[in-house]
Amino acid sequence: MKKRNVRRWLALFGAAVMAVSLLGGCGSSSSTDDKGNKSSQEQGALSDKEIIEKAAKDGKIGNWGLGNEYEVLALLGKYGLPTDYLSQDFTMDGFDDNSVELASAMTYNELGLVKNDYDGGYGYGDSVKYIDMNDEGVAMMEDNIFCTKKFAKENPQTVAAFLYASLKGWEDAVKDPKAAADIVFKAGSSVSPDHQKYMADEVAKLVTTDVNGKQVSDIGNMDDDAMQQTLDIAKKYVTLDDKSAQKKLQSTGLDDIRDKQYLEAAKASDGSFKPEKKSVSIQLKWLPQAQFMGYYVAAAKGYYDEVGLKVKIVPGGGDIAETTAVNNGTVDFGVTWETNLASADAGGMDLLEVAQIYQRSGLVLVYKPENFEK
Amino acid sequence: MEERMRKYKRRKSILRRLSESPKAQKVETVMLPVAFGILVVALWQGKILHRLFHTDTFVLPVPTKIFGIMGGITDKVIGNTIDTLLVAGIGLLLGSIIGYLVAVIASFLPNMGKGGLTIVGAFASIPIAALAPVMNNWTKDVSTEASFRSMISKILVVLLIAAANMGLNAYRGLTELKPYALDLMATYAASKRRIFVKLQLPNSLPYVFIALKVSVPASIMTAIVSEYFAEYITGIGRQIRENIVLAQYSIAWVYITVACMIGIVSYALLMVIQSLVLKRYR
Repeated sequence: MKKRNVRRWLALFGAAVMAVSLLGGCGSSSSTDDKGNKSSQEQGALSDKEIIEKAAKDGKIGNWGLGNEYEVLALLGKYGLPTDYLSQDFTMDGFDDNSVELASAMTYNELGLVKNDYDGGYGYGDSVKYIDMNDEGVAMMEDNIFCTKKFAKENPQTVAAFLYASLKGWEDAVKDPKAAADIVFKAGSSVSPDHQKYMADEVAKLVTTDVNGKQVSDIGNMDDDAMQQTLDIAKKYVTLDDKSAQKKLQSTGLDDIRDKQYLEAAKASDGSFKPEKKSVSIQLKWLPQAQFMGYYVAAAKGYYDEVGLKVKIVPGGGDIAETTAVNNGTVDFGVTWETNLASADAGGMDLLEVAQIYQRSGLVLVYKPENFEK
Repeated sequence: MEERMRKYKRRKSILRRLSESPKAQKVETVMLPVAFGILVVALWQGKILHRLFHTDTFVLPVPTKIFGIMGGITDKVIGNTIDTLLVAGIGLLLGSIIGYLVAVIASFLPNMGKGGLTIVGAFASIPIAALAPVMNNWTKDVSTEASFRSMISKILVVLLIAAANMGLNAYRGLTELKPYALDLMATYAASKRRIFVKLQLPNSLPYVFIALKVSVPASIMTAIVSEYFAEYITGIGRQIRENIVLAQYSIAWVYITVACMIGIVSYALLMVIQSLVLKRYR
């Protein structure tokens, strides 16, 4: 009888200790968030260079990796800093709890989540600041349209027709981002309608402004200077472990990775094509969201039907390797970044860029000024 | 007489004699898998494997290329391998010890023990992909050094998997005794401690190795998968993931090969240890 009592008390005590320690663990991690948000003042501000140096020294620069890290590597390389970075997951929790002080963010996605206070946002407003890759001179060309060289050669009319209709979709989308956001949301969005609208506005800016901040009216244009800059930076800061691939990357020229003839054919066309392959698919780089609004608008408004194409939009996510999907023929077209395409080609793939949708880098490094005071 | 014997001997063919001699059988059990392995590698190198699987040398590079690249980046490969081995090894060791202790406690307190082990079993069935991010967040306050806290979080995931495995198996070994063994001990008036040391402990040893046979490969796999989600970028698993997404398949295959070799070597080591330990007890 006595023994059982003792045992019962012991069990109760054990359970209580576990409960308290669990709750304690939760509390301590969240309490660090709200200190010093308002104390940020301009007087002690560091320069961008000093901020990058400090964050690199503390090992608190974050990026997602998986091919999104090249601009950050270039930035660190530019300042002669070690190119280690922390792996960010696909939330901004690490930025929120200060384990990442200089966090990667796309202007159209994560930056909006950090600043805004709608569903899923962190509500920092303008109290956060950011370093823009375009200003730092390490901008690399992001979302483009590509296919394999073989596919382009065998189906020139299909490629031109696809570009014609897609660019028409993008033109509509940047003219009226709100309507485009609605279309994307209805097509199966991965994020809230509010965030979709924010994203559409920001994406429109990337499509219609170049790295120097000048207006671009020629949507899809493959600007030689910007693409060459991307390639130069890639050659300088990207190292592939496979020596033969590294050698090939170093000798890659613009003409090896892009071909303007299909875009020119699309621009010169009156809209009638004789596509060799009528049913095609495009692999997105990420989940369905306004980042890819042009394709959704073109599909919703029937632009693809008008040129005689049946287009399937294939969403990406996490570990989808769009270059592999296109190269092995799972899909016909894909959206990727120029550096990813160049290094994939160096590794032995046969890919060709046919249009450059984003004209400037959408990557920024966001920080809380109070973490970088003198 | 002698002639008859010779005739008798001659009647047995070499093949038959080989199949009957125990020495040859032992050689056979080693030779057959090795021969099969060599065959696969030959098909692979000869690109016949590629034709069978409708793939190309880009996605599946030939062995000579893989080993050629491996030779060029040895330092990097060794660094990443050590990081993965540390996580898998420490996690396995701590997890197995904790799992065994839980099983011992459970065997002394059967009422609470069975319930406790059910919970441990439930832990074992949580997917690593779900566990790893939770551990990442949980260990944020452990250290300001990202490489260290990231390692702790990976070790914790491995530890949980290994502990669950060991706990469940060791409990069976400690409680499922030979019939009447406990009664016999009772007739000797043996104390609980005596029963544990003389009966339960030896009885549980084979079960410990059953658990290890599962948890050694499982802990390596867990370490590799949890690297996918880790905050600090290092390890074989992370390299495989990065390089596949970046379409650098030949590099990815270097690390895949290393992962396979670790698996094979650790399993062979375990077999050797098992035969040594169990021999002593029998």
